[in-house]
Formats: sequence, structure tokens, C-alpha cells
Amino acid sequence: MLYDLAQLIRKSRCAVAPTRRGLLKSAAFVALAAGSTSHPLSRVAIAGTSFSAEQKETLLRMARDIYPHETLLDDRPYQAVIDALLSEAEADSKVEALVTSGLAELQSHANATYKCAYLDVKDADEREALLRTIQMTDFFQKVRGALLMGIYNNKSLWSRFGYDGSSWEKGGYIDRGFDKIDWF
Amino acid sequence: MAAKIDLNDDSVVVIVGSGAGGGTMANELAKKGIKSVVLEAGRTLSVDDIENDEWAMFSKISWLDKRYSAGGWHGARNHPNLPAWIVKGLGGSTVHWAGVSLRYQAHEFKMYTTNGDVIGANVLDWPITLEELTPYYDKAELKMGVTGDITGMPHLPWSADFKVLAEGARRIGYKKIVAGPMAINSVPRDDRPACQQIGFCMQGCKIAAKWSTLYTELPQAVDSGNCEIRTNCMVLKIEHDKAGKVTGVVYADANGKQQRQKARIVCVAGNSIESPRLLLNSASSMFPDGLANSSGQVGKNYMTHMTAGVYAVMPGEVHMNRGTAVAGIVRDEAHNDTKRGFVGGYTLEKLALGLPFLSAFLEPGPTGWGRRVASAMEKYKYMSGVWICGEDLPQTQNRIELHATEKDQYGLPVPIVYKTDHPNDTNMRGHAYRQMEMIYDSLGSREIYNLPAYPASHNMGTNRMSEKARDGVVNKWGQSHDIKNLFVSDGSQFTSSGSPNPTLTIVALAIRQAEYLSDQLKKGEI
Repeated sequence: MLYDLAQLIRKSRCAVAPTRRGLLKSAAFVALAAGSTSHPLSRVAIAGTSFSAEQKETLLRMARDIYPHETLLDDRPYQAVIDALLSEAEADSKVEALVTSGLAELQSHANATYKCAYLDVKDADEREALLRTIQMTDFFQKVRGALLMGIYNNKSLWSRFGYDGSSWEKGGYIDRGFDKIDWF
Repeated sequence: MAAKIDLNDDSVVVIVGSGAGGGTMANELAKKGIKSVVLEAGRTLSVDDIENDEWAMFSKISWLDKRYSAGGWHGARNHPNLPAWIVKGLGGSTVHWAGVSLRYQAHEFKMYTTNGDVIGANVLDWPITLEELTPYYDKAELKMGVTGDITGMPHLPWSADFKVLAEGARRIGYKKIVAGPMAINSVPRDDRPACQQIGFCMQGCKIAAKWSTLYTELPQAVDSGNCEIRTNCMVLKIEHDKAGKVTGVVYADANGKQQRQKARIVCVAGNSIESPRLLLNSASSMFPDGLANSSGQVGKNYMTHMTAGVYAVMPGEVHMNRGTAVAGIVRDEAHNDTKRGFVGGYTLEKLALGLPFLSAFLEPGPTGWGRRVASAMEKYKYMSGVWICGEDLPQTQNRIELHATEKDQYGLPVPIVYKTDHPNDTNMRGHAYRQMEMIYDSLGSREIYNLPAYPASHNMGTNRMSEKARDGVVNKWGQSHDIKNLFVSDGSQFTSSGSPNPTLTIVALAIRQAEYLSDQLKKGEI
């Protein structure tokens, strides 16, 4: 009984309503998505064409869970990192195998613990706990390393974090408030 | 006018390395009319290469040749190939250093006399005293332009970030709170401008307000006509004759071609990993354990300072990146008082990190991700932090070894750098973490992050000075006990680490060594 209850609780932590993943699986959306990738203005081009929509969606969710900034950042910087990874995987079968097997391992942990896909685990802390189980793998560290650079070493995002970047060309801060502080 | 020195000229001094030790030696010798060849493993750099960009400069100037981290410190896992954070390039680590120019305290030259035997450590007094080094500290401060009484340059103004640390320190009763001494011009001096509070000091000073051999000692030495600098030249081996005197060096030039530069004297100044590595790699049938190693101490007693970081989220905005990287120092714990549970002392140095480095070092290694790290990064502009820098005891187990089989791009055995905390380090770090918690708590911070040691920028001790030949590698002049015309001119000659940042002392020792070397040459002793 206890075991069943645990299963029930876990099951309840999986999203049941139609999800983005469900939408992605639908034939109509696949057709739409396929159309969008050939659009000249498409940002994602054809990166990772050998990966399923679900795999790509899982990678994006995983990226957002590794360095979560839900209100500060939209999908774009994360997607850019994933797109680069997928392009690398297209060109290098070893990377493709690393990503495929890494995602499979993540899904198997999700299935074992919650009886659902990683994408469908609703609670962010529980998704982080799942990622912790694979954090020492080469796959995870490859994704994390790319994100560390793609998020925190990304000049276009620095102002959102309150970081100013290069200052010498503006004469430093000698005349721009290096000594100003007022809260104590 | 640069000198052009013949490979077969055996009257010259060969200096291996162009940083604080090597660069200073070159200029001091040049001023005395002594010719030298500086062999620098890295490439030529100039201020045009300097960017205000942490990772770009990391890639551009760091020593990234293959090395292994080993021993008990966290870096053996989290920084497996980056035991040390130092420079491969013209000017060496004086490009990267932050400018802190503290003198060693009297007791820091006498750690054995002061505290006696410490179990598990290999403590020894320096063969020189503060009194003997004081005139050379004065000369070093004048040369480098260190703020304070000797130069008459005022200390730098307090940045907002330093005011935060200073206020917290004041609230817990600390009094030794100062914005210097720093080898950064607070007013124009020596044809270099005053600091503009740019930040990014450790990525290289874009305006040359911070002293570096890159744009002071090295060009001055070259302009004298007594010095030739060869960059992209990695010294492979020091050679000697049948009498056991060194005769020159073999190096790989920029094209990878081996060259032999003859020399009357060789000064080794490649920092505390490369210097002992070169001596070990120079083993011969006459010196099977490496040059200058009759004591067995070459490569031993590797010290990095006991270090750690603490960063905290403040109740108001700080913008720690706006201003010099190390904006000030708190010295109330720098004394020796064993009642605190450790020998030696430490300083609290206000250290700014940019967002890119803070994200990598807040929790270094493979586990540094997730909600905790990301949430801290969103508070970047509210953050303030320090670097803790304290005495690191010499231990025989902390050492540089040569890999048994693996070779680097020059065909030299890869160095393995062993570092394990002594219980003294653990106790001191714990004390410093508690003091920092009190400081930040007094300011109303409720979010404090303790960071472990970074890959070491302060590397010392692997060719240490000793009074007796059996205890160390070099004598009080940095001259090897075993070979009269072989000198060590960098921080590897330090007998103990003290708590101060090492550069000022390296420069003072180099000025003193150049005097001695010149005198010995005149007397025909070497």
C-alpha cells in the first residue's frame, strides 16, 4: 500500500494536462515546425535534424534547469546553446551518441522515480534532483560547460544581471561613481 | 637599442622568465652594465592585447600547458589541469597580479624561531631578516611605484565596494583597514598615468597604471642596450661542465628548433612550478637528482598561501566591478597568535570578480550549477566579497613531480603539482570564514557564500632559501648551495609563505640579488 501511495504521489508530480510536449508530438505541430525550420528567417535553421522534437525540448528544459533564470531570461540564450550542441552532434557522431545516451539516461531516471518523462516532472526542485543523479556524466558536463559560457559569459545578457563589462573605453569609473554608496 | 647577443657569448647572464623576478633582474643587471638574455616561454604582449574581459584574457595570457593537480585539495578534482593561475607571456604574472604590495612582517622570516616545530610541517627560518631586506623593500617600492610613505603617493581612494568591507570590519572592531600599499599609481608617476578605477586589474592594466615588468623593467632593460629578450623560447635544460658549473641552457625557439645559449651565470625565474621543474629536468650523470638538489628539497615545500573567498549579498547595491580589483586590505588578523588555533596570520583582501568568473568560482567544479548558483548570480550588483590570504606552512608532501611517462609539447615530462592542506590551513580558513560571516552579518547580509581556494596565483617555496645546504636549495642571496653560478630569482626561493602577497618581496630579493651578483662578478668569484 505504502509503495502504491508513493507511486501515486510521484505520478501526481507529472504534468497531466496537454503539455507543450504533447503539442510537439502532434502531427500538425510537427508539420508546422518542419515548415518553420525552412523559413528563411528561422533562428534554429536545421540544427539537430536527427533529434526528435521531444529530445530537443528535453534539452531546452534541462538547460533552463541547470542555470534557472525563469523571470530574467527567455528561451533564446538557452536555445542558442542547445542549437550549437545539436549542430556539433550533427557533425560528430561521438557527440550525437553522447547526447542520445545522456538523454536516455536522464529519461530512465525520470521514469524510475516519477513514472513519466523528465519534461513532465512539474516541480523544478525535483527536476534539479534528477539532474543531480547524472551531473558527473560527460554529457551533463558538456551541456553545463556550454551554458556557463552561453549564459554568464554572454555580453548581451550582462546588463540584465547588473554587470557592466568593459569599462576602459569609457574612462573607467573614476568619474562615474566608483565610490558612491548610500545604504549604510 | 636592443642588444644582439651571440649564442656562443659565454660572458652573459641567462635569465629564464620575465616576470617579477626575471624582469627585475634583467633591468637591475642592465643598469650595472651586465649583459643578459631573457628567455620567455610565452609570447610578446603589449597593452594593445589587454581587454576588460575575464575569459578572453584568461585564454590569452594563462599558463595552460599540461599540468596535473594532485593531493588532497579540492582542485585535484575541480581544477584537475589548472593547479596554478599564472601567466605564460612577456611580463609573466606581473601582467595578472592585482598590485598588493605588503612587506613581510619580522616574524614571518622566523617562523621556526617564533613557533618551533609544527607537526607535519617542514618549517624553517629564512637566512635573512626583515632588517636586512628593509632597504631593498624601499628600493622596490620606489621602482614599482607603491602607494605610501616611501614614494609619497597617497593610497588609492576608497571604492564603494571597499567601503562595504571597511564598514563591516569596523563594526566588528577591526582597525587596520587600509586602501594600500598598492603598486598602482594614484597620481601620474614614472611616465605612467594615475589609476582610472577601470577594474579588471587581473586581466592586465589597460592604461599601465599598475606596475608590470611588461612596460617598465623589460623595455628599460632593452633600451639600455644590455639586454636581449627572446619570446616563445622555452628552456628545456640547464647544462654544466665537468667542474659542475653551469655553462648555458638549451631551449626550444619560436619555431620549435633547439638552440644552445651559453652563459656565465644562469638565473632561474620561471615561477614555483617551472623553476624546480627545470632543475629536475636538467639531471645529469653528475647530478642524477637534478641540479642544485643535494638537499633533496628541489620541488618540495610547495606553498600557495592558505586561501579562500567569501561573497555575500548586501542589502543595497554595491557594483563591486566598478573600481580596482583589490580595493583595500584588512590586516587585523595578520599577526601571529596561536590562541586562535593556528600559527601565522592572514589578511582580508577586498576582491572584485566579474559575473563570468563569479559564476565559475562561486561553487567551482562539476556540481556548481542549479538554483543556488543561478539565484546568487541574479544578485550580482548587490554582492561584495573578499579573498582570504594567509600563511601556508611548508610541507614535504606538497611538491612538484615529473610525470613518469607523459610529455608536453616540448617533449618535457608533464609536472604534477601536489597540494594538501595542513591542519593549520583548515583551522585558519575556518577562523577567517567565521570572521567574514560576522563582518557581513553586521551589514545585514543574510546570504553568504564561502568559496574554496582558487587555482593558485601565489606559488612559492620549491627552491627554498636556507642557511645550511642540507635544508634548502639556495643561500641568502638566492645562489644555489651546490653550484656557484646558478641562481634562483623568483618566489620559489621563499623559505616560508608569510601572509603578504609575494610580488614585492620577489622584487626586493631580485634587486638585492643583482647587487650581490654584480659584486661577485667584479671580485671574480663567479
